[in-house]
Amino acid sequence: MSKKIFQHWGLILFFLLAWLWASWWMGDVMRIAYERSFFAPDATLMYWLWQQPFGWLWIIGRVLLLTYHWPWAGGLLVAVLLTAGSWLVGYCLRLPQRWRWLQYLPAGVWMMWTATVGLNLFYAREPGRILGVPFLMVTLFAIAALITWLAAQHSSPLPSSPKGEWAFILICFALPVCTLHFQHPYIRPLTRMQVQLLHDDFEGISRTAHEHAEMSYRQMAGYYAIALARTGHLAEQLFDIKLDFDTITTYNYGGHPTSTLNYHIIDCDYHAGLIRAARHYVMEDLTMDGPSLFTLKYMVKISLLEGDWVLARKYLHILRKVPFEGTFLRKYEPMVERPDLIQADPEFAFILNMLPPYHTFEQMDEKPAFVGFYANMRGFQNKEALIWSTVACLYSKRMPAFLQRCQRLVGTTPPRSIAEGLLLESYKEPAILKAFPQLEMLVDRFELFLQDASPYMDDRERGSEALFEKYHGYYPYYYFFGNLRNTRRPSDDEPAANKAGVN
Amino acid sequence: MKYKIFILPIFLFTLFLVSCTKPSAVPQQFTEVKEDAVIYPDYRDVTIPPNIAPLNFMVTDDAADAFVTQVGDLVCGAGKDGKFDLDTLAWRQMLSATKGGDLSVSVFAHRESGWVKHPDFTLHVAEEEIDPFLSYRLIEPGYELYRQLGLYQRNLTNFTEHVIYENNRAFSDEDNHCVNCHNYQAYDTDRMLFHVRGQHGGTIIVQGGEAHKIAIKHDSILSAGVYPSWHPTLPLVAFSTNKTGQVFHLQHPEKIEVLDEASDLLLYDAEKNTVQNVLRSKEYMETFPCWAPDGRRLYYCCAKVPESLMADYTAFQVALKYDSLFYDIYSMPFDPDTRSFGEPRLEVNASADRHSISVPRVSPDGRFLLFTKGDYGQFHIWHQSADLWVKTLTSADGLPSLTGEGSGERLYPLSAANSPEAESYHSWSSNGRWIAFVSRREDQNFSRVFITYFDREGQARRAFLLPQQDPEHNTLLLKSYNVPELSKRAVQVSFETLKHVVYHTEAETATFKE
Repeated sequence: MSKKIFQHWGLILFFLLAWLWASWWMGDVMRIAYERSFFAPDATLMYWLWQQPFGWLWIIGRVLLLTYHWPWAGGLLVAVLLTAGSWLVGYCLRLPQRWRWLQYLPAGVWMMWTATVGLNLFYAREPGRILGVPFLMVTLFAIAALITWLAAQHSSPLPSSPKGEWAFILICFALPVCTLHFQHPYIRPLTRMQVQLLHDDFEGISRTAHEHAEMSYRQMAGYYAIALARTGHLAEQLFDIKLDFDTITTYNYGGHPTSTLNYHIIDCDYHAGLIRAARHYVMEDLTMDGPSLFTLKYMVKISLLEGDWVLARKYLHILRKVPFEGTFLRKYEPMVERPDLIQADPEFAFILNMLPPYHTFEQMDEKPAFVGFYANMRGFQNKEALIWSTVACLYSKRMPAFLQRCQRLVGTTPPRSIAEGLLLESYKEPAILKAFPQLEMLVDRFELFLQDASPYMDDRERGSEALFEKYHGYYPYYYFFGNLRNTRRPSDDEPAANKAGVN
Repeated sequence: MKYKIFILPIFLFTLFLVSCTKPSAVPQQFTEVKEDAVIYPDYRDVTIPPNIAPLNFMVTDDAADAFVTQVGDLVCGAGKDGKFDLDTLAWRQMLSATKGGDLSVSVFAHRESGWVKHPDFTLHVAEEEIDPFLSYRLIEPGYELYRQLGLYQRNLTNFTEHVIYENNRAFSDEDNHCVNCHNYQAYDTDRMLFHVRGQHGGTIIVQGGEAHKIAIKHDSILSAGVYPSWHPTLPLVAFSTNKTGQVFHLQHPEKIEVLDEASDLLLYDAEKNTVQNVLRSKEYMETFPCWAPDGRRLYYCCAKVPESLMADYTAFQVALKYDSLFYDIYSMPFDPDTRSFGEPRLEVNASADRHSISVPRVSPDGRFLLFTKGDYGQFHIWHQSADLWVKTLTSADGLPSLTGEGSGERLYPLSAANSPEAESYHSWSSNGRWIAFVSRREDQNFSRVFITYFDREGQARRAFLLPQQDPEHNTLLLKSYNVPELSKRAVQVSFETLKHVVYHTEAETATFKE
């Protein structure tokens, strides 16, 4: 018996590595794919997918993806599929001993595919493909194996050459791991932050952002800002990470390059209290991708916040048909009958506090930069909203608007970044020092910074790199050397009313 | 092979289990309870056509594990899900026999303590039938993007839904398009049209079983033809042409405003493929044309552009004045021989009391003008204030009004059919006794089709939700119903023919007539 198992040690190694890869390395990525997917055993709800080409296969893929509710379980399923597929290939092809490693090729190709497509693993693409394709492969191999067995009546596959098989198995995993790490370095931290947001782990998001402080992507900065706002550290820590935004490029449904901002802006708008803007993008998402757990859950929350009880009940009713969503339902279903629970919920209370207290149209404000439209806010419900907007002005380097907001902070001790911004402006407008006398304590550091920065004023890209270690988190550093590529395009300011289409 | 022998017994056993969970007879012993059964859709005391499909409904009662309903003589059982699937044949026979009468509906629920009976309710069966076909568009209640959508036709006497036209099911950048504004001539499908926007764009005109694609464009025309109305007898279509945009409220009870920056009226000749301007001005925005049933008058909505916007306004400025745009209803006489229009006449002055009207529709007998009235604007499906209203068009002696100001003229809301949520886009049945319209009353977001009876005195009855085989369908469907149009016949042209015309023919540009 043990000898027989020993013959399959390659497969066992492959299985264990596949489990590790699929649950640990890819766990967060797949968990977000799961959130972007949707399956309910109901013909009306699944009809739109059923009628697509290969709809039946994508539905199977989505059913399998449900296991990623627990990434270790999803990883186990992927490991079983890949290992079984590999064994079946080996069985069908009856490869000579030295070519046995080839049996892992289809699994390796699939893993490489998951690494190379980046966020297009689920962004603007059918999430059912992720596990639907390996399922189909295993099914086809199983049929082929059955035919082989019936035709040849042969016994188990020949033992393989350990060295070649080992080496190939390691290559099979090393290639996709390296590809993901070097080609799409943002994917794992970004999806980790999204998963952390799902669990309200704001400390975790900050930690992830700091661990990747030199990795500057607008989407990651958005989640970082959400975490800071929720933990009350926005005005102290926003500039701790690099904000020189690179663009994450993916491909839309038409195959054209696009950023994924519209995807992440839902999270950003929602947490900035711009629930209507969030609703807009959720509805667009629902139109383009069909329902997903992500969109349905957001619609529940937004409907509750807006007092659309019947609508909230509708989305909850749909979610009730989805397996494994009991925790979400238990939390939000009672709120339909008891609105007082909404005020008691920390997330909802925070968002209600941030609602803009005036009427405007979404298109008449600037498109969100990182935390909704807050840089353009014209009125504030409370001091938190004012601080947030002031920091957003610092982020977008709009100093006149920043100073305008700071008028309301006279007589208080402004938070760190705001104080540093005020000090910066006081060199142009000395009266600021009179209004905020405590800024005097910050002058020494600022002068030291100016000394260090002066050699780089003509080459800010270089200065950005050279000074990051010493000055990251210091607003004057950000002002002169940070976010250099985030220049506002004229089209951003144009009201979008003209461009809007009506269906 | 040997396993196959198990399949039949398993199937029979499953069937047995399923049949066991659904009772099939009215309980003999029960306790009467005072509380109404929680049913969906709420069909209590509605008036229904004698040819409508079964009003399947579901009961919600967490304490019950089985249900029975008795509708007239028809008995139907349901399991824990509470869904009743009434027998179509028996339902049809029962309705035919009850024309002009009432059907009593009883609901029984099986709880731990035994059967309980909820208070009965009544279905009123009208004498008059409804046109058997209802066309609509299904689309996500959208903002700016669209993907999979289509025009569908439902047979109201059963649950069959037939595709009139669908855009690309799988996304394709080269083929992506939207369809809208389907319209029929005089409740028949011999002449019909709809628009294709985006790739393969144009207006699809169907006449005598043949479809072709046309394009309406000229320097003097604002955009393409938009809201259509077929002349009841001639091959003419009155179109509005609109420059439309939409804006999204960031903090407001309403969610979206769809606004016209400008709009005019056109007349299109479908036989000669010619188009001409009917009304064109910068001071007024005319839209939603609708022919009187005799084809001798054209009704339309018209708003005066606010003074403050008169000088070179933009969509942006119009958006800022979104709640200051008020549409009235006007009409113009039409001479079918010369194909010319007379002087406009004000029919309903809604702007005088700062209200606004859209979608005028004249009843087939010419006695009533049905429209949607809201607080402002014209795209009332996004306005909670939007309700169905009627203006009587005949004088007290029953003759059609010639002046529009005769005695007996009345303006009133169809209160029994309306709801606190938006009602809009209504369509008469060819006998004038039924109105199909969309409403957001179900959940404030997804528009659904409702049908109301309209009696000879001009009063509506409580409206009922379009019945579905699965009563849960309207809750689960994540698309909205748009533009319900009733017709006497099914669409004569196949989906394949229309698809060929959309994809593989070039739009023929209509010749402009000065």
